[in-house]
Amino acid sequence: MVEIRFVAQVDKKKCTSCGACQNVCPTEAILLPRKRAKAKVFGEKCVGCPNCSGVCPVDAITMVPRDEPMILGVDPKDVDEAQVTKLCVKAHLHPHQWLCLCTTTRVREGAAAVLQGAKTPEEVALMTGTRSGCTVYCLQPTLRLLKAHGVKVIQPKGYRWYDTTQTCWDVSEEIIRKYPGHFLEEDKEVFRKV
Amino acid sequence: MLKKATPSYIRRSVYGPEPRKRAADLPGIVALELRNVFPDIPKEIYLEGDDPAIIREATRNALKKVNMDRIRPSDKVNILSSQYGFQIMGGEAYTEMIKTIKETVEERTGCRNIRLRVTTGFRIREPNEIIKHYGLDKVFRGNAAAVRAIDKGVPIETDIGTLYGVAQVYDADWIIQAHHGELRELDMHRMINRTIKPFAMAYARMETRAVAHMNFGPRSSNFIAKVIFESEFVQSRFTFGCFLLTSPQGIVGVDAGSDLDALERKLMLLGFKSYGKIRELFSEVRECIAVLDATGEPRYMIGGGMTFGNVTEAELDLFDLDILPVSLGFGLYERPAGGPRVKSINPAIKALVINHMWLGVPQLELATHIPTFVVGKDLANLLRDDPMNHDFMRYAVTAENLETAMEFARRIAKTDNVVVFDGSFGALTLSPPLAEQLLERAPEVSRRVDKQLMPKWLRQRGIDPDELADAGV
Repeated sequence: MVEIRFVAQVDKKKCTSCGACQNVCPTEAILLPRKRAKAKVFGEKCVGCPNCSGVCPVDAITMVPRDEPMILGVDPKDVDEAQVTKLCVKAHLHPHQWLCLCTTTRVREGAAAVLQGAKTPEEVALMTGTRSGCTVYCLQPTLRLLKAHGVKVIQPKGYRWYDTTQTCWDVSEEIIRKYPGHFLEEDKEVFRKV
Repeated sequence: MLKKATPSYIRRSVYGPEPRKRAADLPGIVALELRNVFPDIPKEIYLEGDDPAIIREATRNALKKVNMDRIRPSDKVNILSSQYGFQIMGGEAYTEMIKTIKETVEERTGCRNIRLRVTTGFRIREPNEIIKHYGLDKVFRGNAAAVRAIDKGVPIETDIGTLYGVAQVYDADWIIQAHHGELRELDMHRMINRTIKPFAMAYARMETRAVAHMNFGPRSSNFIAKVIFESEFVQSRFTFGCFLLTSPQGIVGVDAGSDLDALERKLMLLGFKSYGKIRELFSEVRECIAVLDATGEPRYMIGGGMTFGNVTEAELDLFDLDILPVSLGFGLYERPAGGPRVKSINPAIKALVINHMWLGVPQLELATHIPTFVVGKDLANLLRDDPMNHDFMRYAVTAENLETAMEFARRIAKTDNVVVFDGSFGALTLSPPLAEQLLERAPEVSRRVDKQLMPKWLRQRGIDPDELADAGV
């Protein structure tokens, strides 16, 4: 379970409607409803990450304590364990490996969220509480789980995230031969062993 | 042999409150000069506080052999820097190298449109702090910009498909890489593609960084940097790299060139020679209290010229490519002779005192594995509210001041061995009992590295051990 204790707050007097915030929000919690509108925060979607406040060029966004923490998380036991394992293996992920280091969320929790119906990285984040810290590393296993489950992920407009999910399993033998000394086959073997 | 410790300067930042007292000022804390431990560690030309003119001259000399003919006066040029260079000995040396690159390119090419790009990890505000602190906006005539992994991207077609760089890194006719050879993140780079690693990290969009860290393994993650660097997109812009060469003694030189394979080999050999023995010596420490008291996040905090991350993993020889231990990607941990388990911390660290640090990297494993004492409410509050370390303060305790933290740590750890990571190069800040132990163990460690380990590390990378003597490092 992840406890989200902060929420973004916009100072509308300072906001210049540049839109930088909406391109870095991992959960679509901050938007400019129309052109030249001030940024608006949807508190129930905000996972309290540092992105929007960090990139705002005029310091119009601050992270303020929530009245009550928002608790997010998925219990993998709510989903058939065999299905969780099957999905993880299909995505070449181990159920017990990290999905998100910041929140110490494991891959099996992300898999359970996908099996419970999450269709986008944003939905996985809002169910599991991931992407509330660095917002960076957990995106890849999330996309891999969604794709392994057959979800057609659609890259959002702007640059919230780009759809790219190369893994060591996708590298052809020809390319492995072209770049010797990078231990691709050997590292795949590490995963196979565990 | 032991002298008064001289900690590195701490830069002001929103990511960590300034400490009231430095650990070097505690009674019984001294500095052990590394030249007395391993006389063969490459010697420095520059230490913090020295005249930056030394770096200027070394950079100018290194750039003499670089061909800059492709850069025309009307071109746009981006110098790419990364935040960790500014954390080496207060950042003056790295800043001086960058300024000298700019001036030299201007002089030799007539190009005046030279811009600086300051990249970062997760500390989104850090690049602007750097630009302001070192006056880089003035140096670059208003053309110094912060670059973050979440900024707008640019597609890079590679041999394994489309990866993404940060658009502002590449929005020029030419790019110049301003980097350094300091040993950090050894668990990730394993001395493979050390020079070009920023192309998959500092210069890359978040998806690409995550591809390297999460989708590839403990050694193969370095393949991502290679395919990006070899892409037509990057090759058509890349001019040369210029590197601060480091050893635990300090800055040992500057080298530059367009052939990064040659620089890679030099950095690798310098890395083994510089860090091999001191890293191995830390594997001999059976119990200690570690004190963090410098700029940066714990894993990359420097003591005796070596990062704390090298001590938290000191029980493993990460130069040895047969060992496959730590991987964010697999998030699993395999000991040389055993099965997998989650990443752990070197059990020799019996207690951790955090006097100063910056937020910015998930590092909960420190507090969950080591009794951890955070000095002062300001730092504790920052850590409590850090979204990258949600539960850190649930496991760590707060001490009112450094003295009480040390007293408590000694009681828990039951050892007088103290090692301080205070940003120092040239000497390790520590307690006399630990200094005695290190000096006693050093000759055997030196023999082991020379006779057994170094030849193995080199052979694993296809290098004749005799090459080390001729490497000019």
